[in-house]
Amino acid sequence: MSSVARTYGRRDTILLAGCVVLSLVALFLPERMREPLATTLRRTVLAPLVSLQSDAELSRRAWATREERVAARDSVTLRSMSVDALSAENARLRDLLALGARLRWGFVPAEVLSGRGVGEQYTMPLSAGSRAGIHEYSPVVAPEGLVGVVKTTDPSMSIAIMWSHPDFRVSAMAADGSAFGIVAAHLGSGPERYLLEMRGVPVRGTITPGTEIVTSGLGGTFPRGIPVGVVIGEMETSELWARTYLLRPAVLPSAVSAVMVLLPARADSGVAGVWQTGQGTLAATRAIVNAGDSLARATVTDSTRAAAVADSAARAAATAVPRR
Amino acid sequence: MRPIDLARTLVAFVVLVLLHFTLRPLLGWRVGPDFLVIALLLVAIRVRPGTAAVLGLLMGIVADSIELHAFGAGALAMCCVGFAASWLKAVFFADDMFLNAFFFFSGKWAFDIIFLLAERRVGGGELLRELLVWSPITAVVTALWGLLTLLILRPILRPSRT
Repeated sequence: MSSVARTYGRRDTILLAGCVVLSLVALFLPERMREPLATTLRRTVLAPLVSLQSDAELSRRAWATREERVAARDSVTLRSMSVDALSAENARLRDLLALGARLRWGFVPAEVLSGRGVGEQYTMPLSAGSRAGIHEYSPVVAPEGLVGVVKTTDPSMSIAIMWSHPDFRVSAMAADGSAFGIVAAHLGSGPERYLLEMRGVPVRGTITPGTEIVTSGLGGTFPRGIPVGVVIGEMETSELWARTYLLRPAVLPSAVSAVMVLLPARADSGVAGVWQTGQGTLAATRAIVNAGDSLARATVTDSTRAAAVADSAARAAATAVPRR
Repeated sequence: MRPIDLARTLVAFVVLVLLHFTLRPLLGWRVGPDFLVIALLLVAIRVRPGTAAVLGLLMGIVADSIELHAFGAGALAMCCVGFAASWLKAVFFADDMFLNAFFFFSGKWAFDIIFLLAERRVGGGELLRELLVWSPITAVVTALWGLLTLLILRPILRPSRT
């Protein structure tokens, strides 16, 4: 302990006492005096150290939450992958709402109940049945066009066959009414299985590729004007007096998740103007042309009338002079 | 103290202060090492008790500026611990690991005791729990890190030969 005693002097005692007194003063300093002093220290001496501490805290937090961040990033990626599907579904539902607004009455909205598996791609169970007014042979439509026809009905559900079903038939025509035929599934193999063919088109009725095909309304099941597909080209067949055309369907089976079933009264009253087809465009063009012609005729009539009035005035003036 | 030794000690001091504000928050332990106390003790055994007390006061005041509820408590604890460490430095002059560990342990525990009593924030059972459970554990952790620091900084802290 002698060495201990040697290292301790009066000056050290005074310094210690001073330090203790200063510490106690700081400890019992009023708030209004303590705060400025602490603030000054924080903003000068301690500022770089606090900045370092802050960075270290952030680093630790980043390290501690790395797994959460990876999980969150994965979730976001997963969600972003489903965004496209949701957008497509939203767009389809909007289209369906728009179709409902155009139909106005006589239809039943229905969900396609189960995901179609292998062997089920020709039929689809619907969430509405006879209780909702659906009957057999009610047309099933989508915003894009014809989907199929109801085959059987139960009180709470019904089963429809799609256009891809081998038994499906619909009387159809070119949108401009230039050719008629019967549309059925193209029973080919591979990707062509999901195409349609329009049979029995008279030889004189040539249809160019790209022509829109709509239901003709013949037969009573399907009202006139529902889009069926678009002509891809003519098929070579053994028939001599009729042509067969290959069609790209208006509705893809994979895109069908919600549909509209037309009730018999609505089917009977027609769906003119519900789908914007070439027929409508043609009618509109004709109307515009007719309107133009009417205007031209009216202009000619007006000018003739004006000329007649001028002639009458001139004649009246000529006859008035001798009277003087 | 020779100027070269003073410079080395200052380097070790700065490194430890930086560790206190970087490594300690990075570890984020409930009972993290107190590098400020280690730095004070390392310097205190190389200077006179009065100087160690002044250094402790300054370190404590700066550290207290971010803990307003305990402003001055850290300064009081630091200057007392610094003075005591410098006063007792002859005891710990021996280059013994156990003694050095005990030195760091005692310094940190003493600091916590003075700090908690001066702060007057906690009392009763909580104060006893802090003083008898958490403080000793923190002191042990500080002692272990102090030993590690001594081993790493040994080349710097070794006195130069005359």
